Amino acid sequence: MRNYLRQIGTILWKDLLVEFRTRERLITMGAFVVLVAILFNYAIDWVRVSPEDIASGLVWMTIMFAGLLGVGRTFHLEAEDGAFQGILLSPVPKDAIFLAKALANFVFLYIVALLVVAVFMFFFGLEVSRNFGMLAIVIGLGVLAFVALGTLFTAVSTGTRMGDTLLPVLIFPLLAPVVIYGTGATSQFLAGRPLTEAEGSIKMLAAIALMAFFLGSLLFRFVVED
Amino acid sequence: MNRNQILCSLVTGISFLIGTITLSAQEISELPGAQLATQGLGRPYWHVFIAYAIAIGIVFFWVVSIGRRLSQIEKKIGN
Amino acid sequence: MSSKKILLAGTVLAMIGLVWLGAVYWMSFFWVSTEVTQGIAQRIMYVHVPAAWTSFLAFGLAALFSAVYLWLRDERLDRAAVSAAEGGMVFATIMLTTGPLWGKIAWGTYWTWEPRLTLTLLLWFIFLGYFLVRSSTENPERGKRHAAVVAIVGALDIPFIHLSVIWFRSLHPEPVVIKAEGPTLPGDMLTTLLMSFGAFTVLFLGLFLLRYSLENLRSELDTRSRHASV
Repeated sequence: MRNYLRQIGTILWKDLLVEFRTRERLITMGAFVVLVAILFNYAIDWVRVSPEDIASGLVWMTIMFAGLLGVGRTFHLEAEDGAFQGILLSPVPKDAIFLAKALANFVFLYIVALLVVAVFMFFFGLEVSRNFGMLAIVIGLGVLAFVALGTLFTAVSTGTRMGDTLLPVLIFPLLAPVVIYGTGATSQFLAGRPLTEAEGSIKMLAAIALMAFFLGSLLFRFVVED
Repeated sequence: MNRNQILCSLVTGISFLIGTITLSAQEISELPGAQLATQGLGRPYWHVFIAYAIAIGIVFFWVVSIGRRLSQIEKKIGN
Repeated sequence: MSSKKILLAGTVLAMIGLVWLGAVYWMSFFWVSTEVTQGIAQRIMYVHVPAAWTSFLAFGLAALFSAVYLWLRDERLDRAAVSAAEGGMVFATIMLTTGPLWGKIAWGTYWTWEPRLTLTLLLWFIFLGYFLVRSSTENPERGKRHAAVVAIVGALDIPFIHLSVIWFRSLHPEPVVIKAEGPTLPGDMLTTLLMSFGAFTVLFLGLFLLRYSLENLRSELDTRSRHASV
């Protein structure tokens, strides 16, 4: 077990190190988030619509699209110089590779997701201070579900002729529950409702994230075996 | 023509027949419709007919596509 | 069963199914009595509900065959899975086109976020992904495995989608909702509906077997051409 965790830690650390040295994915995703918020400003008539009413939906959709950008690149760097074959040939179990990759994606996407909230706070005066802790938990659970499904299906779509363009077709239908429960809980928090109202949504998000990680680590070996 | 081709064309023919029956059934059942139309129920007829036609049309499309692919493969295997 | 027998069984079943479907069409046009509150539009139910049932059956079979395929790696299971998935797409399309036509009359709009309609639409897209993965992977062996993964994850995600779309509906109640399937259907309506269930199921099984034997012939052709090239 300790050995297993160490293997996950090694791959995770390698991915984080590469990313924090190059900062490619974080910069692209971060710039995307800020630019989308700027475009939202002009796309929406803020005189008629108050930010609290639609912010939860916009926050979640921005996270989803930014996530597509980031998760879609999971295997590119290693695929280019064939390093991924090396990882697959190493004695590390396939589910450990999956968990490490998904957790690395989680770190990147969670940073970006918090940036999304900050940008909305900054640009549109969104009030999040009341329930920020719970909001961070809800977004964290949603991002967990996203990266688990995203990492599994990126491994699928990277092997196809269509590449990253196939990824949204594969994961968006599966992520419908995440968006539904995520926006539901978020809008309740933004409206300053009591926590008990969102309890059901949080439990469902946790269940979805758990299932996604379970399925991902179970099925990843079938995706990468060759 | 070998046996499979005959079977395929039979299936196709029958689905054609059902399609035609459906279309002609529209015409026939317009008759009691005249009564109901006065009750403001005229429009639903169109929706029902379109729905039934779409259903048989999609099934028909699938039958034809399977039949065509089967006969192509049979031809390739034959020689 | 030899592939010839499967082909024959499929053809016979498909023909029975088509004739049976013709009988159902006749029944629902001329025989069954008109429902009181919804009038004629309610007759759409006789194709809509059985098509929905058949598509769920087909998608369920596709996911089941896919899971067993990953386990046992028998090519025949993959062929069965792709045949069932194609049937599911066909019947889900019927469900998704007839549903809005009925909704226009009963609800006044073509599309409402009715849970089962939404679920079927998402399922349709999940299996669209299944076929896209299959067809766009260069190595067919890998394409089969990847598609099986898509089907399994899709099937296991369905409970969550189902719960969430129902929950979403409870947040946003619709102004007018008339349930098509009351618990007590008058006798002749129930008979027609059950007949239609039978027709769609037999038709699906027949066409499924035909589609399966098509995959069989295809792989036979593959092995032959491989032998020829060697």
